[in-house]
Amino acid sequence: MSERIVVVGFGPVAARLIDELLPAVRSGLVQLLVVGQETEAAYNRVMVAELGVGRTTPEALAMADASELEADGVEVRLGVKVKRIDRARQNIVLSDDSTEHYDRLVFATGSRPVIPNLTGLNPDPSRPVLPAGVTALRDLQDAAVLRAAVADGKRVVVLGGGVLGLETALAASEEGAQATVVHNGPFPLGRSIDRGSGSVLINSLRAGGVRVAGNARSTGVETAGPGGSFSALLLDDGSAIDGDLLVLSCGVRPRIELAEGCGLPVATGILVDHHLRTYHEPHMFAIGDCAEVRCPDAACVDCRTAAGPSGLVGPGWRQAEWLAEYLMVLARDGQAAADALEALPQEKPGVVVLKARGINLAVAGDNQADPWDEELLEAGAASGRARRQISQWADPEHGRYVKMTTRGGVLEGLVAVGMPRTAAELVVLFERSSELPADRSLLLRLDGPDQLDAGATSNDPQRTVCRCAGVSAASIEDSVVEGCSTVGEVSKATRAGTGCGGCHGDIKGIIEKHFQAAAA
Amino acid sequence: MPNGADTHCPYCALQCAMTLTPAATAAGAVPAPEAAPAPPLEVSGRDFPTNRGGLCRKGWTSASLLRHNGRVTEPMLKGSDGVHQPISWDQALMLITAAVKDTQQQYGNDAVGVFGGGGLTNEKAYLLGKFARLALRTSRIDYNGRFCMSSAAAAGNRAFGVDRGLPFPVTDLDTASVILMLGSNVAETMPPFVQHLQGARDAGGLIVVDPRRSATAAFTSDGGGLHLQPTPGTDLALLLGISHVVVHEGLADTGYIEANTKGYASVVRSLNAFWPERVQSITGVPATLIRETARRLAQGARDGGSYILSGRGVEQHVDGTDTATAAINLSLLLGLPGSARSGYGTLTGQGNGQGGREHGQKADQLPGYRKITDPAARAHVAGVWGIDESLIPGPGLPAVELLKSLGKHDGVRCLFVHGANVVVSAPDTNAVIQGLRSLDFLVVCDFFMSETAAEADLVLPVTQWAEEEGTLTNLEGRVIRRRRALTPPPGVRSELWLMARLAEMLEAPSTFSDDPQTVFEELRLASAGGLADYSGIDYAMLDRGEAAYWPYPVGSTGTPRLFADGFAHADGRAVMVPVTPSKRAVRSFADDSLALATGRLLEHYQSGAQTRRVSELLASQPQARLLIHPGTAASRGIADGDYATVTNERGEVLCRAELSNSVRPDTVFLPFHFPGQENANRLTEAATDPISGMPEFKTSRVWVRKAVSTQERVPAGTRLPLHVKEAS
Repeated sequence: MSERIVVVGFGPVAARLIDELLPAVRSGLVQLLVVGQETEAAYNRVMVAELGVGRTTPEALAMADASELEADGVEVRLGVKVKRIDRARQNIVLSDDSTEHYDRLVFATGSRPVIPNLTGLNPDPSRPVLPAGVTALRDLQDAAVLRAAVADGKRVVVLGGGVLGLETALAASEEGAQATVVHNGPFPLGRSIDRGSGSVLINSLRAGGVRVAGNARSTGVETAGPGGSFSALLLDDGSAIDGDLLVLSCGVRPRIELAEGCGLPVATGILVDHHLRTYHEPHMFAIGDCAEVRCPDAACVDCRTAAGPSGLVGPGWRQAEWLAEYLMVLARDGQAAADALEALPQEKPGVVVLKARGINLAVAGDNQADPWDEELLEAGAASGRARRQISQWADPEHGRYVKMTTRGGVLEGLVAVGMPRTAAELVVLFERSSELPADRSLLLRLDGPDQLDAGATSNDPQRTVCRCAGVSAASIEDSVVEGCSTVGEVSKATRAGTGCGGCHGDIKGIIEKHFQAAAA
Repeated sequence: MPNGADTHCPYCALQCAMTLTPAATAAGAVPAPEAAPAPPLEVSGRDFPTNRGGLCRKGWTSASLLRHNGRVTEPMLKGSDGVHQPISWDQALMLITAAVKDTQQQYGNDAVGVFGGGGLTNEKAYLLGKFARLALRTSRIDYNGRFCMSSAAAAGNRAFGVDRGLPFPVTDLDTASVILMLGSNVAETMPPFVQHLQGARDAGGLIVVDPRRSATAAFTSDGGGLHLQPTPGTDLALLLGISHVVVHEGLADTGYIEANTKGYASVVRSLNAFWPERVQSITGVPATLIRETARRLAQGARDGGSYILSGRGVEQHVDGTDTATAAINLSLLLGLPGSARSGYGTLTGQGNGQGGREHGQKADQLPGYRKITDPAARAHVAGVWGIDESLIPGPGLPAVELLKSLGKHDGVRCLFVHGANVVVSAPDTNAVIQGLRSLDFLVVCDFFMSETAAEADLVLPVTQWAEEEGTLTNLEGRVIRRRRALTPPPGVRSELWLMARLAEMLEAPSTFSDDPQTVFEELRLASAGGLADYSGIDYAMLDRGEAAYWPYPVGSTGTPRLFADGFAHADGRAVMVPVTPSKRAVRSFADDSLALATGRLLEHYQSGAQTRRVSELLASQPQARLLIHPGTAASRGIADGDYATVTNERGEVLCRAELSNSVRPDTVFLPFHFPGQENANRLTEAATDPISGMPEFKTSRVWVRKAVSTQERVPAGTRLPLHVKEAS
């Protein structure tokens, strides 16, 4: 009897795991049951804001198809919740009171939006009941609420200056809503960016039609709208920001209560080792937003600096791919072979590229140090390790700002606003830990108009006019001097213009120039 | 004898039409003894839809090789001293026969192998497949097209059920408002083709994907269009990103998809993970450009016509088939293939790269683009050949595997090479040379002492293009005539003649004619009913100038445009196959390695065996130059014109550096036309695409540094003296 893997949760990370396990399911190597709380199979949560402003469709977001999976032999249970886990019997108990046995269990329970502590909102994080006109932005229902507001050109207040909040406000504004971002601290994206980029970002947001309320501490919601719906966000200075819809974008929190409830060690997320196994229970695993990779070995160097779950989907997908291979090797070749697999490499700090039409922003790593900030530059520079270096470009008038924080020429942090080519290059360099060119300004010039110019018209007589036949301007001029007065004649004499014909205009120009000079 | 002819250029698949006329000899001119003889023929461009009278430098100078000093004009046998000495054809044929028999007696039939070429005429390619299977009785035949077209071919077959490079006449491109060129640098590889991009350039719709700002990419400046410059090896992700935008922004042609394809839903799901900003992080292409590309393609498909054309840049990878598939999926999402004013195609490279992949030169194939494993195909071909079906061996090994097997246990011990210069053009050439040297017997047919011929035990002199009759199939799937304009030198023979004689001596069943027209008549029968059906084509109609596009069954008028009435799968639908980038870990470049992309120069063709012997072309591009970004060069202390070494675990190249911001800082570019210490393929890896067998030519990991010692600068055994001698 092949072993049975149960996946709890059916989001994008679970979908990747299932896709990767499909060959093993088809061949009968493993059995697979996936339990999803939502009634839909996995969809692309990363694009929920796009859906909310009408830039994509629910159909296009699908990442799995339940009936196709069932045809492949996967058991799919949608719209049911796992109530609890009986570790002793290796059973899960579902909300419909059925039980299912597992040999291996994978937590892919993801995370839920943080509901801030505001008067007027139910603070119970596991069962929030939000007033009408207040929504988080996590699932298809949330997107539908936003969609209705944007379609009607309503006033949308976004609480939270994180990536999702900015993306939502910008997109809503571009699609016709009146959007306000409310954030604490002097600029959005708080800890990820520095003051310079923050200032440029705020200007860019405003230029994009978004109102920005900074340094704001919100205290409550006013529900004086029709039928007791949201009407304003109240701030601690006594002011209020009026609106028709409040979008809560205050971060996410891993969903760990199921694991915690069955006695597994948790921190911010469900604690797992480098093989994604929960502590003391090697046949249970966690991946994605709910997982916190931090091994029990106190001496592990990687884990000393490990952050909690990143909230980004990329690491989750890499975990899913790795775990699928592990589970297949385990089922096929046994524990020893599976343990011999190379552990999942530690994730680099995540890269954030703002999904926005009007603003180009990329940010990664630590961007706090300034060029002459000795303390921060020296941090971590010990026992031969190079100190940090900063290169910076600021042009707030034109909405451009770049900072590169390097150590030994390799990026430790980057932020780029308003310079798409530069941002794209820097991100690739960061992802690959490649050394930057010593002349950092090369990277700044990628967005310059001079980069797009193939070759300015030169007057060098040795320049090649006809590439196809390899004929120089001088040879063409000679042929004109010797009597050629049409492109055809020049072609016959020199072969210039006999390939693609792209230089006929240039040849004509040389002929005309000659005869003008002769006439003068 | 013959007095000139209307024919086509000897080089690339555009097959530009040209007229050859006897050259006027200057009266009383006495050539200096060292000088190359004057070309016996004069070349002029001829009006034809593909080239419209245009030729590039390679075409213009092609006749200078016909009476070149370096021409091999007698069979040459390598002596124990390593020097080739002339022998008679009778001796040569006897030696070959003995070598084949000895090898096969000792190691079995499959110890004899054949390596063909995409430059051979249809007749030669067809007969070579038959010769291998019936005269040599071996399954071990493949060809250098495996290094060119195999990925696009595999993807085309999978998606459309048929592989014809351009499924429409090239002139259809003239009216397009958007053309997306994927890794194709036609401005250098087939310059007269550029005429067909003019409409799109005028409309601002030429979109070029290339890590390098190639001559073709430069056409996108000044409002010509867009240049997308992904980091090497990320084309697949880029195409998924463009497709993602098409799906999510509602740009897909859902009516077309519904009516003509299957697999749409699974492709949509697979695209979900590739939103533009994520793709930007993988490729280095700004998300705005990814969106813009998708929108322009969709706009073009509605308004003026959109075409997607793929080239070797995206295909010559270990995921080349999947990358070509991603391009096809994009075209299907937009409803391009089979529509009147839009389409998808791949630009075939070698002169007969199309016909050469249809008639049995491939390890897994029989004439008419039939599968060698298909019982009905075997029965049909056996019937045409008049033999028992069991005499046709099964599938052999694709090119890279074939070359890897040279001299190995159960490998090939005796090899025939026709129209290929693997010592320069195959991946990991150091290993290839070792393989060739471990053979018991190597026969190379060529007109020059190419680098591969130099390794051969026996070199056989064969006819050049202007000395022979035959047909080729150009990049549009149009069959055209090659005509004889000149009598070959006395000792030179056609490969058809060679195969016919050897078949006789090896007591092969069936018949082997040395007359091209007779061979073509047999090819017609053998291809009848196959995907590439030539049965309705004959020399007379081609000589009348009729445009013959395959499939051309007897009684039909051919097929200029495929897919108008559905695709070649049984249900008439195109198949959309979900593809994703392989899970190979993102390579770390922290150790200052760079990505090496190999490619081409306008002046040279393939391994350069011909064009490096044309003095005008050699003078223009005498040596390989490494294109390197000024910033990348500066950190290595390399100045423009310095010698640099390019190394990795497979080998080392020594060449001059050319500083240019046309390449990305993480990438260097090296043309592969040059041999010896400048040979780019010393560095490429013989890793292959699992479906097509295509090697990885575009993302080798290398280390570049300034060359230090003067020994490195003028190494012993440099190839320069050879050039100096032949080019002067």
